[in-house]
Amino acid sequence: MKINSLDPRIERAQLDSESQQGMNTPMDQFQTYEVFEQKKRGTHHIHVGSVHAPNAELAAVFAKEQYSRRGQCVNIWVAPTTSIYATAYEDADIFETTPSKYHRDPESYKVMDRIQAYKQKQNA
Amino acid sequence: MEMTERHVMGLIELLYKMADDQLIIGHRNSEWTGLGPILEEDIAFSSMAQDKIGQSLALFELLHELGEQDPDTVAFTRNAEQFHCCQLVEAPIGEFNFSIVRQYLFDQAEALRFEMLMASVYEPLAMVSRKFRGEIKYHVMHGKTWIKQLAEGNEESHQRMQEALNEVWPLALGIFEEGDYEKEISEVNIFAGEAALKSRWMETVVPFLESCGLNIPQSDAVTGGRHGQHSPYLQPLLDEMCEVFRIDPNAEW
Amino acid sequence: MYGSAYIDPNTKFDGYLAPGEDPAQLAEFEARIAAGDKIEPRDWMPALYRKQLIRMIEQHAHSEIIGSLPEGTWITRAPGFRRKLALMAKVQDEVGHAQLLYNAAETLGKSREDMVNDLLTGKSKYSNVFNYPAVTWADSAVIAWLIDAAAIVNQLANSKGSYGPYSRALDRICAEESFHLKYGHDNVVFLATGTPKQRQMVQEALNRWWEPIMHFFGPPDSASQHTEVLMRWKVKMDTNDNMRQTFLNMYVPKIWDLGLSVPDTELRKNEETGKWEYTEPNWETFKQVINGNGPCNAERLAVRRMAEEKGRWVRRAILKENTEYATPLS
Repeated sequence: MKINSLDPRIERAQLDSESQQGMNTPMDQFQTYEVFEQKKRGTHHIHVGSVHAPNAELAAVFAKEQYSRRGQCVNIWVAPTTSIYATAYEDADIFETTPSKYHRDPESYKVMDRIQAYKQKQNA
Repeated sequence: MEMTERHVMGLIELLYKMADDQLIIGHRNSEWTGLGPILEEDIAFSSMAQDKIGQSLALFELLHELGEQDPDTVAFTRNAEQFHCCQLVEAPIGEFNFSIVRQYLFDQAEALRFEMLMASVYEPLAMVSRKFRGEIKYHVMHGKTWIKQLAEGNEESHQRMQEALNEVWPLALGIFEEGDYEKEISEVNIFAGEAALKSRWMETVVPFLESCGLNIPQSDAVTGGRHGQHSPYLQPLLDEMCEVFRIDPNAEW
Repeated sequence: MYGSAYIDPNTKFDGYLAPGEDPAQLAEFEARIAAGDKIEPRDWMPALYRKQLIRMIEQHAHSEIIGSLPEGTWITRAPGFRRKLALMAKVQDEVGHAQLLYNAAETLGKSREDMVNDLLTGKSKYSNVFNYPAVTWADSAVIAWLIDAAAIVNQLANSKGSYGPYSRALDRICAEESFHLKYGHDNVVFLATGTPKQRQMVQEALNRWWEPIMHFFGPPDSASQHTEVLMRWKVKMDTNDNMRQTFLNMYVPKIWDLGLSVPDTELRKNEETGKWEYTEPNWETFKQVINGNGPCNAERLAVRRMAEEKGRWVRRAILKENTEYATPLS
C-alpha cells in the first residue's frame, strides 16, 4: 500500500508500506575512527568520540561536521580504533603514586630553610 | 571609471543570481537531512546546505542595502520567473550520485567565483567572499573526496558517477550563462565575468574528474535560468518552500 | 532529544546475576557506582546491566534518528530564513545525536549495523511519540519546544547515570538541546502572540500533542525488583512519574503564560502536596501505538528502510574488503 505522507520529500519517494526493501540484506559496516580535536593552537588534541568511515580521508570529512560544527577547532586527528592500545582499568593501580616517589613532587623541594640558615651563618 | 546606473544594475544582477543559486541549492540539499546514505554524511550534507542558505541570506542582505526588499520577502514571495538561479540548482536531489556531482561542480564554481570576488571593488561583496572562504573550501574538499572515492570505488559506483556526470554537466555549464551587464561589471572591477570564471572552472574540474577516471561529456550548456526561464522543477519547489510563509506574508513567523 | 528510556514493566527477571557471575565482582561493581564512579566499557559488568544499557541507549539512538522525521516534515517549508536555518540545524542535531548514541551503545558490544537492522525489522523500539504526524508548521514548533523539553528532563537525569560513554554522549547532547528548547519556545511564542490564525494553529497542535507528551515518560512505575536494581545501578535515574511531575512543573505554567490551554480539565497543581494532578492518559492507546498501530509507525520505518537502501550502493562502493570492525573505545 502506498504511504501517504505529510512530508513532501517522502511523498515524492512514493513509498510502499509492504515493501521489504532494505531488510535482511548483508552487512556493510565500516570500521571506526577515533576523533581528536584541537580547540586552539598550543593546546592538546582531545579525544571527542568516533566516526564510522571506510578510510581516514572520509573519517576526517565526517569528523569535522559531527564534532566541530559548533565549537572552535583548528585541527582534527583521526586514527583507526584498532590502532589504539589501551591500558586496562583493572590495572588502574599502576598509576597510583606512593610517598616514596617524592622526588617527582615539586612540593618536596624546600630549600628556603637551608638558604636562610646559610645566610644567617654568613652574617653571624 | 565612475559607477553609472548600469554598473549598479550589473551588481544587482550578479548578487541576485548568486543569492538565488545558493538559496535553491541549499534548499534542495536540505532535503537529504535525516535521509542520508550514512549517518555521518547526513550531518555533513546538512551542514553544507545550511552554509548555502546562510550565504544566500548574506547576499540578500547586501541587496537590501542596495534598496531591494528585505531578504524574507525577496526569497519567499517571488515566483519562478523572477528568479535568476541556473537550472542546475533546481533539479530534484535524485540519488546520491546526482546530488554529490552537482554539489562538487557547483561548489567548485562558487569557490572560484568568491576567490575572484575577494578583489572586487564593491567592498561589501569582497568582505562576504572572505567571510565564506573557509566554508566553501570545506564544501570543495567534501565534494572531491566523495567523487574520487565513488568514481574509484567499484564498477557499479563508477558507472553511477559517470551517469551522474553526464546528467549534471550540461546543467553545470549553465552556471556560466552570461547576464546583460558582463561588460559593465568587469570594466569597473566588480567581477571579472562569467567567461573568465568558466575558463578557470574548466581548468580545475576537468583534470580532477579525468584523474578520477571519468569522461567529460560533450554537451551544450542548459541556459535560460539567468533570464528567468526555468525548468519545470522550480515553481513547485517555490510553492513548497513558501507554503507556510504565504499563509500570511505579513505575519511574523 | 528523545530518550524516553522507560523500561518495559513486563520484562521477566530471574534475580539479577546471570549464571556464573561472581558476587564478589558484583559487590565491587556496586561499590564503584555507589561511590559515584563511572563504569567504562572494558570494566566487568553484570550481563543484566549490559543488556539493559544496550537496550536503553539503542532505543534512545533510534528515537533520535526516527525523531528527525516528524520535524523533517516541515524542513522544506519553514517560513523565513531564520526558521529555515534553525530547523535544518535542529533536525541535523537529532541525526548527530543518533550517531553519538549509537557509538555509546556500540561500546557495549553491539554493532551499529545490528542496531539499525533491529530497528528496521521492528525488533527494537523507539520513542512512541514519533509515531504521530506533524500536521502543520505549528506541530513542528510544539515538538521542538515540549518534546525536547520532556527529553531534556529525561536526559539530564540519565546523564548522571553510571555508564561513562552514555553520560559523555548525554552531556554533549544536553548542551545542544538547550538551543532546541530555545528555538522551540521562540517559535511557539511567535505563533501564540501572532495573528489569530497563527494562534489557532499552535493551540490545535498543542491539543494534538498533549496526550503523546503525557505518554512520553512511560506508564506509572511498577514497584518491581527490576526498577529497584536498575536504580541502584544508576541505569534508571528517576521514576517515570517523577519525571512527568518535573516536566509539568516546569512547563505547564509557561504554556498557560501564553494564554494557551492544555486539553485536560483536571490538570492542576495541588498546592498541599506540591504535585500535579491530571487525567491519566490512555495507556491502552500507548500500548497500541508501541505495537505498531500508531498513525505513522509504518511510514517511519519505511522511510528509514528507504534511506538505508538508497545508501547501500554508496557504502558498498567505499567499504574496504576485510574491514576489521572493532568496538569503539569510549
